Amino acid sequence: MDTPSVKVLYIDDEEHNLQAFKASFRRQYEIYTATSAAAGLLILQNIDINVIIADQKMPETTGVQFFKSIKDTYPDPVRILLTGYTDIEALADAINHGDVYRYITKPWSDLELHNSIKNAYDAYKAKIDLRNKVSELEKTNDELNRFIYSISHELRAPLVSVIGIVNLVKMEGLYNSSGEYWNLIEICSNKLDFYIQKTLQYYKNNKNVAEHSPVEFEILVSELISLYSYSDRDTQFNVKINQPVGFYNDAFRIEVILGNLINNAIKYQKSTEPNKFVNIDIDVDVQRAEITISDNGIGILNDHLEKIFNQFFKSKNHHGSGLGLFIVKEALTRINGKIEVTSDLAIGTTFKITIPNGKAT
Amino acid sequence: MLIDDNDIDLKINGKIVAFTKTFEDIVVCRSGEEALNYLKQHLTTPERLPEFILLDIQMPEMSGFEFLDHYKKLPVSFTEGCNIAMLSSTLDFSDIQRAEANPYVVKLLKKPLIPAVLQEVVKEHLQR
Repeated sequence: MDTPSVKVLYIDDEEHNLQAFKASFRRQYEIYTATSAAAGLLILQNIDINVIIADQKMPETTGVQFFKSIKDTYPDPVRILLTGYTDIEALADAINHGDVYRYITKPWSDLELHNSIKNAYDAYKAKIDLRNKVSELEKTNDELNRFIYSISHELRAPLVSVIGIVNLVKMEGLYNSSGEYWNLIEICSNKLDFYIQKTLQYYKNNKNVAEHSPVEFEILVSELISLYSYSDRDTQFNVKINQPVGFYNDAFRIEVILGNLINNAIKYQKSTEPNKFVNIDIDVDVQRAEITISDNGIGILNDHLEKIFNQFFKSKNHHGSGLGLFIVKEALTRINGKIEVTSDLAIGTTFKITIPNGKAT
Repeated sequence: MLIDDNDIDLKINGKIVAFTKTFEDIVVCRSGEEALNYLKQHLTTPERLPEFILLDIQMPEMSGFEFLDHYKKLPVSFTEGCNIAMLSSTLDFSDIQRAEANPYVVKLLKKPLIPAVLQEVVKEHLQR
């Protein structure tokens, strides 16, 4: 036989049934027999059985009881119940609780039993194959994620050296010595660094299980504003925060969410607008935090509103990574938050976010 | 003292440190081992020992954190007069926490090193 041998365990208190089974099937299968549930369990503990056949009517433990007892410890072998009489209750019980694949009445026909074992083994194999595939995929996915992480770090190390050199050039007063070349190098380097940081954010967001930590919006928002308004000092920030109670959720993800939105609000301003502003309103209670971030920037085309949260979606005229809002959406999904957006090309854009308040642990 | 496996970063950070004009002498080491050897050799000549160490985290063989494990075995007479700032291009929050939780480390500085940031740390921790 070139097919791998199928390991069948047959449990029956009547010795002559075991003998008959062996006589009929020993050429096709690797057969193990036991005269009681206890003896059957002993075999299960030592051998990787593929198919279990058990007689329903046995002293001490019935077939269904046996299947129930091994449901969690040995979930893989496929079960066939054998019974000499039609017992609807046992049948229902077997299907509902014993995870039984087939039900066969005694005396069995060799052909029927053979087909059942064959099908049962196919089901067993499908189950195992699927599980292997899933774990293979998980492993590949994990490797891919770690690859993103390490490659981002490797890419960033020499990049920060370049930025360091530009800083030195500034210190030594050579920044304007070659026309605008140093300035262009600095702009490109910062942009590349921005992409790498976004990639790392994406990785971290993918990886971590949500954690529970206290969030002080007052502190967080002022830190984020000073971080992102570094490159643009024209924008007026109007921050209104009402946080009378403690707020608990994933601080890292909330930082990522607010950081991306604030950064966008600054980045996508109208260059001709004399009074650029960004309004940030945060209202916290024991149930949730409601955050509204609105600006009088360039706005988003109606056609684009549905797509802005898609990965790698970019509008033609504005340079983004196509990752920012996608990461925002992903992060929100992981902490059970919601986001809505309204926009008008004449007025600006408003993002409204709701994040549930987790309990302090 | 600068400890970094990357020659370019050593050059850049050396210049930035020189720019702060706080230090008379800069010792450059290309690995944690080299730095430890230098420190051990000069334990008896305190004038050649550093008061401030800039330590890179990501280095082959001996990482910055491993260096610290060896460093803490050095005599207290030296270590109490010396401050360490770690240096990294990491954006990893756990690295930052881990570095600043170490009793010998005054701060984790991010690469690229900004002269003003370095100056602030030096001013805060180097009273003379």
